[in-house]
Amino acid sequence: MALHAPPKLERYADVPYEEKERLFQEVKSDPRFPDYLYGCYECGICVAACPSARFYDFSPRKIAQTLAREDVELFYYQLNEDIWNCSQCFSCNRCPRQNSPGGLITIMREVAVRNGLRSAKEALEGYSRVIYKIMVTGTQVSPDMIQADAFPDWGPVAKETADNLELWRKALPPETMHTTTTAWEVSEQTLTELYLIWHMTGVMDMIKEVDEGLHMILMDVMEELLEEKGYALAE
Amino acid sequence: MASDVVLVIGGGPAGLEAARGAADLGAKVVLVEERDCLGGTPVFERYAALTHGFQDAEEVMNRLIRDVTAHPSIEVKLSTRVVACDGEVGDFRVALARTGDGASETVHVGSIIVATGFQHFDPGRETQVYGYYEYPDVITLADAEAMLKAKKFVRPSTGLPPERVCFIQCVGSRDRQIGNEYCSKVCCGIASKQAIEIRQQVPNCKVYIFYIDMRMYGYWENEIYWPAQEQYKVNYIKGIATEIIRKGDKLLVRGEDTTLGRPMEVLMDMVILSVGMEPSKGTREIARILGVKQNKYGFIEVPHEGVDPVATSVPGIFVAGAAAGPKDLDDTMSMAGAAAMKAVAAVRKAAVAPGRG
Amino acid sequence: MHGDGKQAEGIPRKERVFQRDPDLPLPEDIRERVFELEEEGEWIVQRVPEPYVEVPTKYGRPKKVPLQHTWHHKSCGQCGHIPGYSTAIFWLHRKLGLAYDDPKDQTSCTGWNYYASATSNAAAQAAVAVRNFAAAYATGFFPLIHCGTSYGHYKEVREELVKHAELRRQVREILAKLGKPLVMPEEIVHYSEWVYAVRHEIAARRIYDCSAITVTVHPACHYYKLVQGDAIYDPDIYGGQRTAVVTAVATALGAQVKDYSTWFDCCGFGFRHILVQRDFTRSFAVGRKIETMIEEAKPDVVLTHDTGCVTTLDKSQFAAQVHNRKVGVPVMSEAQFAALAMGAHPYRVCQLHWHAADYRPLLEKMGIDWREKWQEFEEDLERIRRGEKEYLTWEDVEAEIPARHFLQVS
Repeated sequence: MALHAPPKLERYADVPYEEKERLFQEVKSDPRFPDYLYGCYECGICVAACPSARFYDFSPRKIAQTLAREDVELFYYQLNEDIWNCSQCFSCNRCPRQNSPGGLITIMREVAVRNGLRSAKEALEGYSRVIYKIMVTGTQVSPDMIQADAFPDWGPVAKETADNLELWRKALPPETMHTTTTAWEVSEQTLTELYLIWHMTGVMDMIKEVDEGLHMILMDVMEELLEEKGYALAE
Repeated sequence: MASDVVLVIGGGPAGLEAARGAADLGAKVVLVEERDCLGGTPVFERYAALTHGFQDAEEVMNRLIRDVTAHPSIEVKLSTRVVACDGEVGDFRVALARTGDGASETVHVGSIIVATGFQHFDPGRETQVYGYYEYPDVITLADAEAMLKAKKFVRPSTGLPPERVCFIQCVGSRDRQIGNEYCSKVCCGIASKQAIEIRQQVPNCKVYIFYIDMRMYGYWENEIYWPAQEQYKVNYIKGIATEIIRKGDKLLVRGEDTTLGRPMEVLMDMVILSVGMEPSKGTREIARILGVKQNKYGFIEVPHEGVDPVATSVPGIFVAGAAAGPKDLDDTMSMAGAAAMKAVAAVRKAAVAPGRG
Repeated sequence: MHGDGKQAEGIPRKERVFQRDPDLPLPEDIRERVFELEEEGEWIVQRVPEPYVEVPTKYGRPKKVPLQHTWHHKSCGQCGHIPGYSTAIFWLHRKLGLAYDDPKDQTSCTGWNYYASATSNAAAQAAVAVRNFAAAYATGFFPLIHCGTSYGHYKEVREELVKHAELRRQVREILAKLGKPLVMPEEIVHYSEWVYAVRHEIAARRIYDCSAITVTVHPACHYYKLVQGDAIYDPDIYGGQRTAVVTAVATALGAQVKDYSTWFDCCGFGFRHILVQRDFTRSFAVGRKIETMIEEAKPDVVLTHDTGCVTTLDKSQFAAQVHNRKVGVPVMSEAQFAALAMGAHPYRVCQLHWHAADYRPLLEKMGIDWREKWQEFEEDLERIRRGEKEYLTWEDVEAEIPARHFLQVS
């Protein structure tokens, strides 16, 4: 019955303290932060309910404690090593103090992405096609994403689906669902509005930090439609 | 016209002690109790041993009750409730109604002591999922107390003695979502006392207490906590549970063992929920009828400086016991004495200078 | 649903029924603030249209569920790879004669991406949500959310917009540039709440006997763990101690709902885990949920009410077979199950050919001849292949159904 090994903070010894502090302040100054962190009396309910705590060396309680104590070193460690283990199920919202460790992790992830942390880029490897799909088509998964080589563990249904995709998608009563490259048919006007939202809220800048190649492709596709609709992306 | 009678509302420990105290100081006392017997929660819920010194609750309560019923200056009205109140210190007119035949009367009193007590938190409102309404083997402190008094501590589902029992602390207390943000003060002591009683009555049974903090004030530390661990081998585990669900014929309890820093799932035969205190229905009602201020939790509000724990927002009306918030027996008896003193002083002052208590 | 009812002799047992104390004030509810903000001129509140049903929620506050004139906010995962799920929801509306809109002016809630990658922020997420709400408002139809994640996410967005004036201002400006007003619906309603509200009408139209079907229910985390007060809790189901959706519907259809010891567990979808960390997802889906269900309840079908949960529980079973794990139970939404019980075509409507775990024993047990149905569907496919028809249509599906009647609402 070994206790968990203490975190190896020395891994990040070469990162200047000011940088860690800056990122900590960025998390703390998010408007949602006071909604997600009150006090913590270490009851353990969040860990008891958490699926990730059973699989990884992960503890929502420690995330909340670290932020409450403003332990910048430990915060930076968690920012790089722990936050991507969370399954964002919000079982931890059972907290009697009404903390939301899952919500705190959402903020930490945004900060990690916005600052182009290498751990964030690594966590999102293999994920870029989904980002592309959602940003560009307005739906997150499409029928043509079910390929046998992408989902071999799903069984023969993946191959069967892929082989019959065009036909099966026509054998669907709802008119909006006769699509293969998107989940349902999204109107061009709607897409235009979505692209404008991505631009106006700074999401494009976030993507640029974690995946420059993807960012370029996205900008190309979006600019084409936006220009067609008469929008110039002046900054 | 001034009255020198002190009205005590509620016949539990606080009310009994306040009535006896006021009467011993020479006042005439009317004690009103809505149930058909005196004793309040310790009697109604069949408390086994009191946390203080493990005295038999029934014996102690019987003494308090005898002191009151035998006292020539105390008039006890059972099965009676207060329904209206008028007037001011020295000169209150209080309407009473008897349950059953509905007979009513008005009493003229000089001061009032509210001793209407608390009720237990209903586990159905808990944020966590404890299954009190699904599983007979999930019980509360009150259920356990009754079984311990009857010396028949068994699994409700089988009628057989349990092998593994756990307590879960802070049920309904210290919770922002439920709204009872306070600590109910007595549950740590009571749970530990019950844990000891279980170990005494069922020596083969392992007992666990899952807690956030152990509130062991003063002598509870050495009289209860240490013996529980050292003599009776009660297991205290820091980290409370979030779910109780049936697995086979046992209960699966899911929590975190925060000392070891990892999630924990254990099977239990019985789970005892350490439910907290809330204002009783009687306390809520009487506050409305008398026009005394309640705090945000519904308890009778007392000034916060800590030097006058029995005053209410209405001069001449005092409070004793758990009607003012979570209290243990020490607090309750002390408040009852203070309230008796102040209530008698109030009627005497009003007799000399009407309207000023 | 109370305990197993066994009670030893002589032990004082009061029949435990949870009764909410009417004297206790209801806790603060966000919907009060939503209306206050409308009075302050901050946004327009789209009212739930009549007819609606009032359903009970966790702390006792009633919630309004519209029956028709709903704007269907579709789910990416459902439409993308569980199309029978969306189709069944639409079919139920049509069968009950309840008008709805299936819009193209709808984006994903983008919650899956947000929870998976955080390549977004609070403002973008809020703007996406209210853009969809504005689109619904413009049609006059009230949004009905298909996905559990969308529902939970939108409840969260509503909280943030209520609490943060700056966020509201930012989002209002963005919408203004799109020529849209800032609109917040009076309620955020999940389709499973609608199914709950019409469950007796569904049960009245049941044609297959479900009494021999054992069901285990998996409640979606994002349905009841986020903004916990806003979820259906019914005193007649689990004594009001667990969320009632799905269970209430299965019970109304006469199926046997059996409990299991990991009822409250997350399925393990994880948003990013199901794509890039699948051993986590699979461990949970199989080790915590499916195997426990099979061992303790032996279900004929697992019913749930969320896209991610159906995906996870259905698709995780195949790989586990290689490791000789005890899997092999079909998974679907309660909408698909209800539709089947009412006589919906398992392929034309419920699109079960997209599912991984074998559903055919379930159909057989219900008395549905899947071979015959598959034959019919193959003929449809053949007609499409030959170019005789372009698509399968609602008319094709409804040819079997007698004239529609409108729902009587008392």
